Amino acid sequence: MSEELHPSVAGAQPYMREERQGSGTTDEPLFESDEGRERLEKIRSRYPSARPALLPLLNYAQEKNGWVSTRAMEEIAGALDLTPACVHSVATFYTMYNKRPVGRYLIQVCTNISCHLNRGDDVLERFLEETGTRPGETSENGLFTVVEAECLGACGFATVVQINEDYVENVTPEKVPDIVDALWARAEGRDA
Amino acid sequence: MSEQSGSQEAVTLIIDDVEVTVPTGTKVLDAAERAGVVVPHYCYHPGIPTRPAQCRVCLVSVEGQGKLQPSCVLDAQQDMVVHTATEEAKLARKSVIEFLLVNHPLDCPICDAAGQCMLQDYAFETGQLESRVEEPKLVMGRDRIADDVLYFADRCIICTRCVRFMREVARDDALIVAQRGHRAYIDTFPGTELDNPFHGNIVDVCPVGALVHEDFLFKARFWDMDSASSICPGCSNGCNVSVASKENQVVRLKPRHNAAVNSYWMCDHGRGQLVMANRGIRAEVPLLRDEDGELRPADWKDALDRVASDLSELGGGGRAVVSPHACNESLHQLRRLLELLGFQGGEFRVEQGGEATLDGFPKLKLRADRAPNATGAELLGFERVESLAEPGPGEVLVVLGERLDADPTLPDAAFGEHAGYVLYLGTRITEAARRADAILPVTSSAEMQGTFTNWEGRVQRFDQALREAGIARPAWMVLSRLVGLLGGEGATRLEAADAFDAMAADTSGMEGMDWLSLGLKGLPLASPADVAGGAS
Amino acid sequence: MAFPHRHDLETTTLLSRHMGEEEARHLDTWLERGGYEGLRKALTMEPEEIVQVVKDSGLRGRGGAGFPTGMKWSFMPGADDDRPHYLCCNADESEPGAFKDREVLRWSPHLLIEGCMIAARAIRARHAYIYIRGEFFPVLPILNRAVSDAYREGYLGEGIMGSGWSCDLTVHVGAGAYIAGEETGLMASLEGRRAEPRVKPPFPAQVGIFGQPTTVNNVETLAAVPMILTNGAEWYRQWGTEKSPGTKLWCCSGHLNRPGNYEMALGVPLKDILFDVCGGIPEGRAVRAVIPGGSSTAYLTPDELDCETTYEGLKEAGSSLGTASPIVMDESTCLLRATRRIAQFYAHESCGQCVQCREGTEWVTEILTRIEHGDGRMEDIDTLYDLCEQLTGRTICVLADSVVFPLKSSLDKFRDEYEAHILRDTCTAT
Ligand SMILES: Cc1cc2nc3c(=O)[nH]c(=O)nc-3n(C[C@H](O)[C@H](O)[C@H](O)COP(=O)(O)O)c2cc1C
Ligand code: SF4
Ligand code: SF4
Ligand code: SF4
Ligand code: FES
Ligand code: FES
Repeated sequence: MSEELHPSVAGAQPYMREERQGSGTTDEPLFESDEGRERLEKIRSRYPSARPALLPLLNYAQEKNGWVSTRAMEEIAGALDLTPACVHSVATFYTMYNKRPVGRYLIQVCTNISCHLNRGDDVLERFLEETGTRPGETSENGLFTVVEAECLGACGFATVVQINEDYVENVTPEKVPDIVDALWARAEGRDA
Repeated sequence: MSEQSGSQEAVTLIIDDVEVTVPTGTKVLDAAERAGVVVPHYCYHPGIPTRPAQCRVCLVSVEGQGKLQPSCVLDAQQDMVVHTATEEAKLARKSVIEFLLVNHPLDCPICDAAGQCMLQDYAFETGQLESRVEEPKLVMGRDRIADDVLYFADRCIICTRCVRFMREVARDDALIVAQRGHRAYIDTFPGTELDNPFHGNIVDVCPVGALVHEDFLFKARFWDMDSASSICPGCSNGCNVSVASKENQVVRLKPRHNAAVNSYWMCDHGRGQLVMANRGIRAEVPLLRDEDGELRPADWKDALDRVASDLSELGGGGRAVVSPHACNESLHQLRRLLELLGFQGGEFRVEQGGEATLDGFPKLKLRADRAPNATGAELLGFERVESLAEPGPGEVLVVLGERLDADPTLPDAAFGEHAGYVLYLGTRITEAARRADAILPVTSSAEMQGTFTNWEGRVQRFDQALREAGIARPAWMVLSRLVGLLGGEGATRLEAADAFDAMAADTSGMEGMDWLSLGLKGLPLASPADVAGGAS
Repeated sequence: MAFPHRHDLETTTLLSRHMGEEEARHLDTWLERGGYEGLRKALTMEPEEIVQVVKDSGLRGRGGAGFPTGMKWSFMPGADDDRPHYLCCNADESEPGAFKDREVLRWSPHLLIEGCMIAARAIRARHAYIYIRGEFFPVLPILNRAVSDAYREGYLGEGIMGSGWSCDLTVHVGAGAYIAGEETGLMASLEGRRAEPRVKPPFPAQVGIFGQPTTVNNVETLAAVPMILTNGAEWYRQWGTEKSPGTKLWCCSGHLNRPGNYEMALGVPLKDILFDVCGGIPEGRAVRAVIPGGSSTAYLTPDELDCETTYEGLKEAGSSLGTASPIVMDESTCLLRATRRIAQFYAHESCGQCVQCREGTEWVTEILTRIEHGDGRMEDIDTLYDLCEQLTGRTICVLADSVVFPLKSSLDKFRDEYEAHILRDTCTAT
């Protein structure tokens, strides 16, 4: 990103980029770097009080580490003058905060009504089979976590699957092996 | 949602055919209470500021409004007509109970809240004693919320009273709701426990048995406990409490509402006071030293006659050491005795401790003075000192020692060894007491009636919670008898009310007070200038 | 990302005119297409005048409830109230079946920014927040770039378009909670709290985000505002009906040959949208049921599809327009399973404050699942009806009611499905 990040969008950066998933277990401090402090300040400048920065900062924790550890919650609590308990309460309310590390590819399969009507349940089954995992569990190689998702807001393109940040639409069970193969290839390509 | 509406205006409405007039801004649930109608409620608690209206059990019908309305947040309006018990409202209430039963095991036989559980109450009231649910109940374990508080998630109805108490009253945002929907539960930050001087109140606000004091667990069932109105002896704040007892042992102190003192709350130091009430070797019968120097039991008549004659025979000076745990009436009778004997008076010292304020109700403060009646002792003419002066050789020493022994800063067992004569009135036989010439067993404040005067001069009455130990008697009774035997005026006081009224007539600041008007909430001393602090 | 669909005959392209054109996402090319003309005009008008134009246009909220937008704006305190006012653009789009706001966000971000600024001026807000659902990652680079460009070029921030009027805009990203779309839940979420709705009153126009007067509007609502300002209220009323003027983005999903997003003048018969525009049901199968307005609206049977697609028309048909998101189910659909899946969603998304909603949505789901697994009993039907009653009108927000519309209509209209499962452990779907 060459251009400077405008404060209006500082809290709205996509955060599930694949590169960041790395080992999946990093837990870097958030506000010890200049970049982190700058992000904190930019985000805070958009609200009349500290607390509204909470969701953007939890998002930032995911951007940095791919998940939100209790340590990160404490760090954020400190930055916003909240209790860690209060951050924990908020973080557990929202389903997108990974309270433990997830695989390099977080595969979320919508099985809600429109996708359900278009074999979403079978798509989910197929992803679990292909990755050899159970829902929410990360594959042994650390690559895949498959979860059932609620409506992803793309119902006309059912079945909808979100892989990290990307939407993959019109997925049928038959297409699943190719999708998983492509992810394998991507992962190996980088690892090599 | 102020406790008292600032507005002068009032509205008149009809609740269940009763007309009530309430200040503008009053909620229907509160207005109903004034009309004598209690609308069931779980999430609303009068001592917690916010009203999230989330339990939906207080729904009532309002004429002209299609939907049932949550009465805890509905403004009372002029000419509003409310029915709290229409078929629709009753059905809605019943269904809330049924919904709760979906995940709430009715394990009343083993639940500590049984008998005082609002779920059990309403389930009974609405006739919804079992639910139709066949689905397996969500079973969640119990968890430790604080070193002395356990949480049974499967009983929790997520009314958030405990969370809001911590956040809004204790101002310590350490207890929260985690997760959402039917997976929600109460939690602290992972790896931590509540550690707040007031957190015990969450157990009291919990309308079901989801939060339990561990040391109370399975100790007693509500229906085999006795209860008495009392005053916490833990510090000079004078929090109003109820003492629950079973088989003559205190099992629990709970706060008793007093808007002028402690609202609905008390501190955890205060809760620990129950241990004190149960502890130690009690003085149960009068003991007199015989010719051989041995302490021998005696009956009251012999004991008092002997003490009276000893005191009248002994010339020379004398002094008293009193405990700020002694009640006003006893101190008053002691002062009369000292005057009669021409002694120079008496002194007391007060154990000190750290302070803690309940921010959401700052009048409730665990105060440095760790005794309930220092103000009373001072008002009744005793001198507050840093350390008690050792009685001189040959002096008479009178000790009024409820809990004097419990003060670790007191002089050691050698205290009073030079005294010529020691009269000890106390609840326990301490090392120092063993050197006394006469030991008169008196009741502890849990075993008698009396009054304390708190830090700001509020005189408050406590009732008897336990049977007295042996033949111990209240110190005011014993002392008034001694006064009589020594020729003083006034009869022996057999009732606390008499002892109080005699004191009030004789003590500046208490003019016009009488036992009856004192009631259960107490009265402030007439001239607050006499005492430290002021009204809020 | 798939391209939004168009149909030459029936659709009207006002909101969706530039959807599908990548270059229209950028400020310079957007300006070439007449961008920010509505705002330019609004900057010459007093707030009350803007409100009046929108009132006259008859525009109704597109977030689901259809509340008249101009009227909502007029609830905001006037010039004599010096508290800060706020606008929240609701881009939490999470109602199953709905996928229209995403199209506006990703194809015409400047249209939304412009709409936000006009609304902000109308309600005297100095800061607007776009609350966007967390899952919409692919939209963020597009929207963020548009916002940054608009700031740089003076369409946001200090002295907008050379006028003396200033207003900020911030993109705020959620994190996975449907209930954050409910307006008071959204406000709580924006404040950094759990997205728990609260009782009204006080209404957001008095006490909203940060305790200040606030208006919450849906993305599509705000996107319709610039053209109304540019062209006038009467112009907008050439589409739609008296009570439901204008155009609407229809999100068509389920068993359709051409599912997708279509902009239509309000009032077209529902069956025309489904059969003409969307090309009917694949493989010539028959329709079994349609949920017309997103998953929280009541089922319609095949013979109820003649209704006109207006707020009043769908109400008359016994359902509602909701988010204009018909979900079509063909004859192979097990309505019990479909209803169970819908109930499961609401149970998953209940914030958990209200007893009825927290326990009731879950209980309904459990009963439906049990019947689905062949362990149903006839009494379950009565229990479900009873639950419908207890979940209606009793809770803080209407999430609890949302499950009732599909559930109760499925019991009323497809009782045979329930009975087949309960009595014979079979399904009436073909
Ligand atoms: C459970 C629930 C979820 C909602 N979700 C959304 C949503 O995702 N997007 C939206 O715009 N409105 C949603 N709404 C409606 C909002 O509360 C609000 O009415 C709307 O944003 C107002 O905008 P409008 O007047 O422009 O329609 C939801 C309402 C409820 C009860
Ligand atoms: S633990 Fe008790 S007080 Fe706390 S939310 Fe649960 S039921 Fe309410
Ligand atoms: S503040 Fe003092 S009087 Fe009140 S409960 Fe605590 S120790 Fe007892
Ligand atoms: S109805 Fe449901 S979602 Fe709405 S506030 Fe109540 S519990 Fe939360
Ligand atoms: S139902 Fe799957 S994206 Fe909406
Ligand atoms: S007491 Fe009114 S809703 Fe809980």
